[in-house]
Amino acid sequence: MSDTALKVADYKSDLKPIWCAGCGDYGVITPFYQALVEVQAVPKDTVIVSGIGCSGRFPYFCNTFGFHGVHGRAVPTAAGVKLARPELTVIAVGGDGDGLGIGGGHVPHVARKNVDLTYILIDNSIYGLTKGQSSPTSPLSMKSKTAPYAYVEEPLNPLQMFLAYNASFVARGYSGKPKDLKDLFVQAIRHRGFSVLHIFSPCVSMNKEITFKTMNEIVKPLPDDWDPTNKLAAFEKAMDTGTFWTGLVYREERETIHDRLDAIGERVGRYQDLTELLKRFR
Amino acid sequence: MARQFMKGNDAIIMGALAAGCRSYFGYPITPASEIAHAAATHFPALGGVFIQAESEVAAINMVYGTAGMGIRAMTASSSPGFSLKQEGLSYIAGAELPCVVVNVVRGGPGLGNIAPEQADYFQVTKGGGHGNYRLIALAPNSAQEMCDLTMLAFDLADRYRNPACILADGITGQMMEVVEIPEPKLVPFDHTSWAVRGDAATRDNLISSIYLEPEVLERHNLALDRKYQEIKQREVRFEEYRTDDAELVVVAYGVVSRIVYSTIDEARDRGLKVGLLRPITVWPFPTAAIVKLASRVHHFLAIELSTGQMVEDVRLAVEGRCPVHFYGRCGGMVPGGAEILAQYEQILAGGQR
Repeated sequence: MSDTALKVADYKSDLKPIWCAGCGDYGVITPFYQALVEVQAVPKDTVIVSGIGCSGRFPYFCNTFGFHGVHGRAVPTAAGVKLARPELTVIAVGGDGDGLGIGGGHVPHVARKNVDLTYILIDNSIYGLTKGQSSPTSPLSMKSKTAPYAYVEEPLNPLQMFLAYNASFVARGYSGKPKDLKDLFVQAIRHRGFSVLHIFSPCVSMNKEITFKTMNEIVKPLPDDWDPTNKLAAFEKAMDTGTFWTGLVYREERETIHDRLDAIGERVGRYQDLTELLKRFR
Repeated sequence: MARQFMKGNDAIIMGALAAGCRSYFGYPITPASEIAHAAATHFPALGGVFIQAESEVAAINMVYGTAGMGIRAMTASSSPGFSLKQEGLSYIAGAELPCVVVNVVRGGPGLGNIAPEQADYFQVTKGGGHGNYRLIALAPNSAQEMCDLTMLAFDLADRYRNPACILADGITGQMMEVVEIPEPKLVPFDHTSWAVRGDAATRDNLISSIYLEPEVLERHNLALDRKYQEIKQREVRFEEYRTDDAELVVVAYGVVSRIVYSTIDEARDRGLKVGLLRPITVWPFPTAAIVKLASRVHHFLAIELSTGQMVEDVRLAVEGRCPVHFYGRCGGMVPGGAEILAQYEQILAGGQR
């Protein structure tokens, strides 16, 4: 890399992350900075959009443009940014409550539009910022402040959902394996279309049941010869709840919403300007 | 009667339990989450329902569903979450169903912060959602009232078949005080004329807020309005302190009224004739009480944790009979006694704000 290349320090903001000591999110942001270095993302052309939750702090710690939006709405907000300024690199970040609970309804629609942005879902199976309520991925039987007698609901399976939503890039990572995460970030950002990266990141303060220790026992990288174009095989790995498979699970190249919007103009012909359009009404 | 030291948020659930509510639907948000925690602890243990909904929108619609069966239901949140419930509240009011909603107000607008404010006053008392409807709005200023007014809210909601709101603030929710937990009081209501229970008796009932014919929807709106006028006539609640000979009457609710109480006697010691009118219902607003005072006092002073919301209702009541001053802090800042006393001195010395 040349001397003028951007380095990790160029992507760090003046604000140091304020997550709890030992928080898994440190294991997410460090490889994220490294990935920005690898793709040489131009800070002024990069936008990080977040929702609410501990992971919603992400934009504050990055020397890019940032958008701390509404709880659960990071993905549609990011889509708005990308549709207005397709030349920007747009990255949405949020937690499991944000993206699977209150904002869960938005994700399939951005996925099927194939908006060219990257969605980083940092999952800790708990509402951490509000101090320990059950989340959409809390396992059945886990205790929390809203499940004092143990949780009675089944957890969602985010990987299976994203595959079912037809997301054109689906990957999974773990904050205990930051090196692997860096490569996944790079691939996700380079992917043309909606790329979603589900990352498990233990909450050391509020989640006493799913920890780095319990995760280390079930995390396993996908085999070296994994074929990321085989969707049925991807579903099989997603449905294997005994193992937390990590890596690029599925990828396909297809038209984005931008391509299709452009195609409308090609197909129906464009008006030169408003005056020309108004002639239609005469 | 049990006495216990608890947070205002916990007292909300004590009141709900005493009122016979066994259905709670909520979503985590600071500084209201303890209400959900208490419901999660007590409701299932009494055979009731506690559901942590996937969103605020889901929670208010679960309330809508349960209320439609004639079963007491509640939800609680704080400002941003309460904003999300507005559509549901409009439908519930339009469909004339009873329920209780709690807003432990925090700093806004937007994400704001988790410190106390009273800047959701307009949203709660003037509508919030779309259409001609009102929430019955009760504003507690102690942990005891968080409990007692929640009990009352269920009764008023049932009586008028309308959502009732506890308009609290971050301090009243988080502050711990001794609460006397009341004996259960179950006021029986006959829901058979409107509830939908999936049985023969309620087969002809229909829960809806749609009236496609303008003539019919106008009649519905006018009927709702008659109900709201009746609530205004019958359900105003307020408290006065040393207003008999007051020259300056402070109007304040919630936590601010607690601070103002602590300043009145000291003001009197300094020779300042100050009294307090505390709205307990902020909708209906104690307009008549203010009109009565306005004929003899020299000044009103509205103090709020906002940039001026309730003060508009005070001005509407006073109708120019005397000056209405305003003092507010916001963003989570709370005025201290000395700060408030300085306002009294300035106003009574002839200074205008």
